Amino acid sequence: MGYFSPQPFIKQGGVIMKNNIRVERAIKNITQADLAEQVNVSRQTINTIESNKYVPSTVLALKIARAFGKPLEDVFMLEEGD
Amino acid sequence: MKTRLLFPYWCRYLGLALFLAHVPVALFRKTMDFDFGDTNNDNLFNNHHVFFILTALVMVIGLFLIAFAREKVEDEQIWQIRLDSLRWAIYLNYLILIISLVFTKDVYHILELNLWVPLIFFIIRFRWVIFRLNRSLSREG
Repeated sequence: MGYFSPQPFIKQGGVIMKNNIRVERAIKNITQADLAEQVNVSRQTINTIESNKYVPSTVLALKIARAFGKPLEDVFMLEEGD
Repeated sequence: MKTRLLFPYWCRYLGLALFLAHVPVALFRKTMDFDFGDTNNDNLFNNHHVFFILTALVMVIGLFLIAFAREKVEDEQIWQIRLDSLRWAIYLNYLILIISLVFTKDVYHILELNLWVPLIFFIIRFRWVIFRLNRSLSREG
């Protein structure tokens, strides 16, 4: 991580973006690859979003929420980082 | 996602082929130090110059195609990695450029270095990050 990280926006102003994708996937019983195909990204991207290594763009976040049929804030939420 | 000025996927292999094809020719030129015909001719487009243009162009076009061919799935994360790698390539290139400008007067070699350093470094950094992504993916199964 740090300067060589491909993702500089994980933590902004002490706030971290978390998500429930893993849980939601389990509820709908779909794999990372299925979800990736639904929202037109690679499996790697879904994987890094799930493990909080990559913050998706607003468009992608909305698409993912729509894929689960839930409002955005049920899937993505802000948390105080440390 | 829109294609945003990238070459098609197969261009990566074309680029690789061009680059590999250039290597033996360039090595031949360097090791044999061979000059054919009119070595005293300093005009533009003498044999030496044309040979240099051909090898350098083949290499640069090859690297260019490798660097800027689309990924299979070109999504926003790939795009970000691309941008970030480009930034590092520019940093490194200018570092080398400044150092070589200060410590040498060999403008010819500085130019030659500048031809491939940013592209090579970009490709290595880009591929490395994608390799790391894929590795973390296979670890999780």
